[in-house]
Amino acid sequence: MEKTYTLIGKSVPRVDSLSKVTGEAQFTGDLLFPRMLVGRVKRSPLAHARILHVDTSRAERLKGVKAVITGKDTAGVKWGVFGYTQDMELLPRDKVRYFGEEIAAVAAVDEETAMEALNLITLDLEELPAVYDPFESMTSKGPLIHEGYPSNINVHVKIDVGDIEKGFKESTLVREDTFTAAEDSYFMGEPYAAVARFDDAGNLEMWMPNAGPHMKSKPMANVLQMPLHKVRVRKIAIGGAFGGRSEISPADFICALLAKKSGRPVKIVYTREENSVNVRMGHALVTTIKTGVDSKGRVLARDITCYMDGGAYSSTGPIATSVPFLCMEQAYRLDNVRYNGYRVFTNKPVRGMIRMHGRSFACGVDLQLDLLGKELGIDPVTMRLVNARKAGDTTPTGSYVASCGLTECIEKAVEKANWKEKRGKLPAWRGIGIGINSVQTGFPLGIRGGSQAFIKFNEDGGVTLISGVVDNGQGNDNMLVQVVAEELGLEMSDITLLSADTEMTPNDPGSYSMVTTFAGGNAARLAAVDARNKLFEIAAKAMEANPDDLVLENKKIFVAGSPDRSLPLTKVVRMGLIQGRPVSGEGHYAPKVDQRREWVKNPKGQLSEAFSFGATIAEVEVDPETGTVKVLEVTAAQDVGRAINPMVVESQFEGSVSMGGQGGMLTEYHFWDKGRCLNPSQLEYKVPLAADMPKINSILVESHDPAGPYGAKEAGMSIAMSAAQAYATAIADAIGVTITDFPMTPDKVLAAIESKKQKG
Amino acid sequence: MRLPSVEYLEPRNVKEALEMLAGHAGQAAVLAGGTDLIVRMKQRLVEPAFLVSLKHLNTLNYIRREKSLIVIGAVTPLISLLESELIKAHFPALAKAVRLIGAPSIQHFRGTIGGNLCLQTRCLFYNQSAFWRSGRAPCHKDQGKICYAEENSDRCRSANQSDGACALMGLGARVVLNSTKGGRSLPIEEFFTGRGERPLAAEPDELVTEIRLPVPGEGEGNSFQKLTYRSAIDYALVSATAWLAVKKGKISGARLVIGGAGASPLLLKEASEKLVGKDVRDKHAVEEAAKQARNHASAFMVDNLGSTLEYRKKMSAVMAKRAVEEALERCLGNSAPGGRKG
Amino acid sequence: MPREFCAGRPERLKGSDRMKKIPLMLNVNGEEHDVSVSPNRTLLEVLREDLQRTGTKESCGEGVCGSCTVLLNGFPIRSCLTLAAEVQGGEITTVEGLREEEGRLDLLQQSFIDHGAVQCGFCIPGMLMSARAFLNRNPNPSEDDIRKGISGNVCRCTGYSKIVDAIMDVAKRSQSRG
Repeated sequence: MEKTYTLIGKSVPRVDSLSKVTGEAQFTGDLLFPRMLVGRVKRSPLAHARILHVDTSRAERLKGVKAVITGKDTAGVKWGVFGYTQDMELLPRDKVRYFGEEIAAVAAVDEETAMEALNLITLDLEELPAVYDPFESMTSKGPLIHEGYPSNINVHVKIDVGDIEKGFKESTLVREDTFTAAEDSYFMGEPYAAVARFDDAGNLEMWMPNAGPHMKSKPMANVLQMPLHKVRVRKIAIGGAFGGRSEISPADFICALLAKKSGRPVKIVYTREENSVNVRMGHALVTTIKTGVDSKGRVLARDITCYMDGGAYSSTGPIATSVPFLCMEQAYRLDNVRYNGYRVFTNKPVRGMIRMHGRSFACGVDLQLDLLGKELGIDPVTMRLVNARKAGDTTPTGSYVASCGLTECIEKAVEKANWKEKRGKLPAWRGIGIGINSVQTGFPLGIRGGSQAFIKFNEDGGVTLISGVVDNGQGNDNMLVQVVAEELGLEMSDITLLSADTEMTPNDPGSYSMVTTFAGGNAARLAAVDARNKLFEIAAKAMEANPDDLVLENKKIFVAGSPDRSLPLTKVVRMGLIQGRPVSGEGHYAPKVDQRREWVKNPKGQLSEAFSFGATIAEVEVDPETGTVKVLEVTAAQDVGRAINPMVVESQFEGSVSMGGQGGMLTEYHFWDKGRCLNPSQLEYKVPLAADMPKINSILVESHDPAGPYGAKEAGMSIAMSAAQAYATAIADAIGVTITDFPMTPDKVLAAIESKKQKG
Repeated sequence: MRLPSVEYLEPRNVKEALEMLAGHAGQAAVLAGGTDLIVRMKQRLVEPAFLVSLKHLNTLNYIRREKSLIVIGAVTPLISLLESELIKAHFPALAKAVRLIGAPSIQHFRGTIGGNLCLQTRCLFYNQSAFWRSGRAPCHKDQGKICYAEENSDRCRSANQSDGACALMGLGARVVLNSTKGGRSLPIEEFFTGRGERPLAAEPDELVTEIRLPVPGEGEGNSFQKLTYRSAIDYALVSATAWLAVKKGKISGARLVIGGAGASPLLLKEASEKLVGKDVRDKHAVEEAAKQARNHASAFMVDNLGSTLEYRKKMSAVMAKRAVEEALERCLGNSAPGGRKG
Repeated sequence: MPREFCAGRPERLKGSDRMKKIPLMLNVNGEEHDVSVSPNRTLLEVLREDLQRTGTKESCGEGVCGSCTVLLNGFPIRSCLTLAAEVQGGEITTVEGLREEEGRLDLLQQSFIDHGAVQCGFCIPGMLMSARAFLNRNPNPSEDDIRKGISGNVCRCTGYSKIVDAIMDVAKRSQSRG
């Protein structure tokens, strides 16, 4: 029976919007501390070189320079996201591996002095042969980029389930296609920045955009060789993460070292160029997919090989190499599947996880289904429906799917988009296509996989909620407040949120694994429930009632059904104080996943406790003379479990269409002059503008996951995937040719149209 | 990104500005809206010792008719051109070109028509930060001897991507320059040197003060077409302007220009000639003109503006064709004066 | 073969040759400020560093993204490409000055909150300034007009849908009030 909620499911304005519309919200680059120094980084002008000598003497003597550091100032600790990928020194001592890598840094009284100091640092470098694409890298006879990784292969994820040879043998139709995509990039609004400040007791405070402050504090403590409790990553407004900003950055480390050496606070703000090439970007992928289907279009076997350009360091390599596969195996049923994912080092900027995980993989799967269906005489929607994941299934690598509204999403999207009236019936050069997604709600993160929250009451009944959850802009702060207000019968304005501060807030897995609402929201909810139970114990005695019969609404506690006989919440809080049992709440939630599951060594077991699912449909119109694609309408139906705040969830849909579809499929890619990125700027890397965007229909499907808070799952990444897929399939429909290299910029669309004309 | 050190000069009128330019010849840059110059200074592509600000030069802010000419002061902000009835009525090509420069909140209020005319040529291998360009020899435009866009090129291959310049050349503008030594007026083709290293013919002590356009007569029409991936902000991958005159059902005059190919907007004499004398309904003539536009532009294009070279070459024909078609419609009065299409 | 790398280009004027500061009187949000700055300082830098008004943001530094948009005499400019010296004598409005006389939020600010148009918030100050200037000149826009009007402001989070809704709502309500 559906419970009615006061706030859950309501499109209430976000609690963090006010300070953002007034300009009061402080981002890292806005911080101003007394005596703060400006930090700048000296970068390698070569893509692969041995560092022979770094002469900083002239820079050190420049008036106004307060600290200069090189690799010699580090403890030589190598850092990596995983124990087995520790390959990054953050300030290298021996070798640089990509154009722009950090070599030295200065802190000075102002930016002019800092820039002048950089110019006074001399680098003696011995150039080494560099490689710029995975195939060149694997076959190179030159020096390895990292010792211990033969053929420069960084990660090999191997998954083999069932019997694919048997599956292919039994297939009516088998296809093999290769899809390629260049790098895509986050282009968050906020450029990366870091501020570091030590106190006299040696405690370090840091501010930086992050996708989980605890993901930053522990590695920082490791590389600085400090106890964890002395490293405090503070709460700060963050201008977007999109799958990035989850690992420590050389900027964090450099900033802390400069602060330590100079004895003053230091701020480093990256230029836009540094924010493109000196943090992370998406992987370029070459994906070969072989799929066999039966006469009804059901996939009987699939074999995928993927080569990913990883750039110069491991970063989150094992995750990034796995997620494209995992999204596919969640979305589509199949018993026989093999995957070989190779992440290869190259002398280019480092790649990491990104919201649209693997354009060529995801779009390739859907484009191929359309091609197979065409040959069998089966329409694209049916091809999706017969293969769609269902609740109660287990994925090939062993994840049980508790809730799944995928079929409902497909049906609702099809209806809203008028698919049946349009597919195959549109005028020339118009097309409509569909893409299916499934995204993990979290993944195994060991001791950091759970979230915890605390609640304390003020004597006037106001509440402080303490949570490790971080908000990158998606609305996580608001979610926490909305949940606690609901459970404690409060208004949202009664709640103060203290969050994302590692000195004070308990652990949280971070936002980049799409688990914040699921784990963090559940922890906050449970903390509120805990507090409420304590309130009820006190109130029950005073009211001579059974605590189980009590409810808390509109700041009043009463026996259910008898609202006239109530105690104000404030009074009960004060009673608790008088009685020497002050009311507080504690809640924690760790998703029930298989902690033995490991990306490379053991890629099986429960990956997430819940998965989101959805279908996106796009309708496009192509200009056959220029290849320009105009997107008319996008319909996104997503099973989010439950929309805690529909307006906020819809915003995620719309942003996802922009990033994954409009940008990801039409205009966004990096291009290179060997190791130099030719388009690090906002001018030349083209993210969509307001006038580029289509009409977007958002359909919220709610399958009420049994474990999610109020049934909620994931909503922030999924449509970035399926929008890209839908754009790809729609364009293929519009021009009658399947483009296999992404993004589908006008030149490629035009070339495809012309190749079809030539074939006649 | 900090700007390099520079001294700021604030002349109160044109005379003072010219004296300052003469006094600091070679070391001073003119600051109009700054949307190009300031970016280039941040990238250390140019480091003038002095900036001569035009902010007080209100006498160069005008659009008016002078007999058979429409004259525009060089410091006229782009928004004034967008709102000008004269420009909308007579030069829809220019109105559209100005509208498509950047985006409203970037250029329309700060940007000036003189500044856009004087937009420096561009190349992906040149328009990069100082750091990006370090670690290897500088290119031709960067006072070096190498070209990174086209191997072994002994000269700069940067391209003119100014929408205003493309439209103004198509419309047969004249550019007036002044210095302490006097003034001169050049046909716009002579204002551009065709050399990427130094694309403008203005001497270091000269200031562009006015742009002059002949008022079109009856049966004349003009159009501007711009190809970009996004709906705003982007520089043209390729652009085209067409001016046509029609008399008694035949094309009596034609002037085609392609932008984004070569250091000057390209005045396409041969392509234009393919149209003169032809019947207005002669579609084949338009195709031939477009093909010739492509040939001409292709000789100048290298792979330095993004997209692909092959695509930009192909699109020069498409943009030229569309410009001609729309200009023809306007000649024949088929579309509203100043109407926007495409 | 070892190679030595040093500077990009050494800065023109170093240390003791630093530029002479110039006195400027800037009118920001109705308040006059006397500042003494090097002539190469942009308005954005002066606002954020000298006047400590950090509402206006820098995201690209080259005038593309719009995060630095402020109003000069009511029209939108890119403060990252404008020298502070250039705007002396003009009236500068930043996001901090959008609020109305009695501290009430500008209608656009309230509408952005109500429509869920704010996600990470980094683009929002610039977006609000562009939207305010746009509506002042175009009080009765179509949706297409609005999208073109804010096409100089890049937002990576929202896909622009709710931003456009928020602006349209203010336009409609202002129209109905007459």
